[in-house]
Amino acid sequence: MAKGSKDRFIFDTSALISIEIVGSLEELNKLVNIIITGSVIEELENFSRFDDAYGNTSKKILKYKDKFIVKKAVISKRIQFIENTDNELFNLALKEKLILITDDVKMSYHAGKHIETYFSTFFLGLFISMNILSKKEAVEKLEKLRDLRSWNNNIIYLTTKKELETL
Amino acid sequence: MQTEQFNIRLPTGLVNDLEIVSKLLKINKSEWVKLKLAENIMEEKNRLLMELANLYTSNVISREEIRKLLGEDIADRIEFIRNKSVSSLKKGLDYGKRLKR
Repeated sequence: MAKGSKDRFIFDTSALISIEIVGSLEELNKLVNIIITGSVIEELENFSRFDDAYGNTSKKILKYKDKFIVKKAVISKRIQFIENTDNELFNLALKEKLILITDDVKMSYHAGKHIETYFSTFFLGLFISMNILSKKEAVEKLEKLRDLRSWNNNIIYLTTKKELETL
Repeated sequence: MQTEQFNIRLPTGLVNDLEIVSKLLKINKSEWVKLKLAENIMEEKNRLLMELANLYTSNVISREEIRKLLGEDIADRIEFIRNKSVSSLKKGLDYGKRLKR
């Protein structure tokens, strides 16, 4: 699918890391236009200095950076509970009326009052519908996502797995 | 960072051991205790909330019970994550169906 004919979605760093940690970013980029800000690139560059799961995944994501659309964002409406980088993404989504994909629960909670937000598990549903993944493969990807272990991720994992089982 | 006074009495033997650790590491006793306490509390909090998440998503414990146990904020957050997880997967499924048409 050509860049111009694809729908645009805004992604934050947490979502890009989740998607690439299960090796799905390239496939996702074929289906949607990935919009980010310069701050997301900076965050990924900072992570990439470390030799751990986040660092190595960030290095892989940065290899695709020419395929992303990098936009400048002006903060005209500020949410006080979230960081500057997140406020930029929020404002971009607000201004361009785009969906924001984030696994940052705090960001999703506050920004979600003004814009449409979804967790990165959105792409599992998309891939299943497009027959890119079977239900079994989607659960396997979900298991890997669970390795980014936090109690927030645990609820996302358990709920999504339960939903997948009902399909 | 806001702080709050929290007094505890420790057995003498433990204070002596703490003294040895502090001298060997060349670190202030209070700073070392604060650091270790923070690490342990964070780990334990995460472990317990993981368990709570298991119980909540299996419908063993309700939002109301979580609210009574831990307050409105955590109950809200857990409910929000569950609802958002459901809507995220559904949105992806619907979007994929639309793309296929």
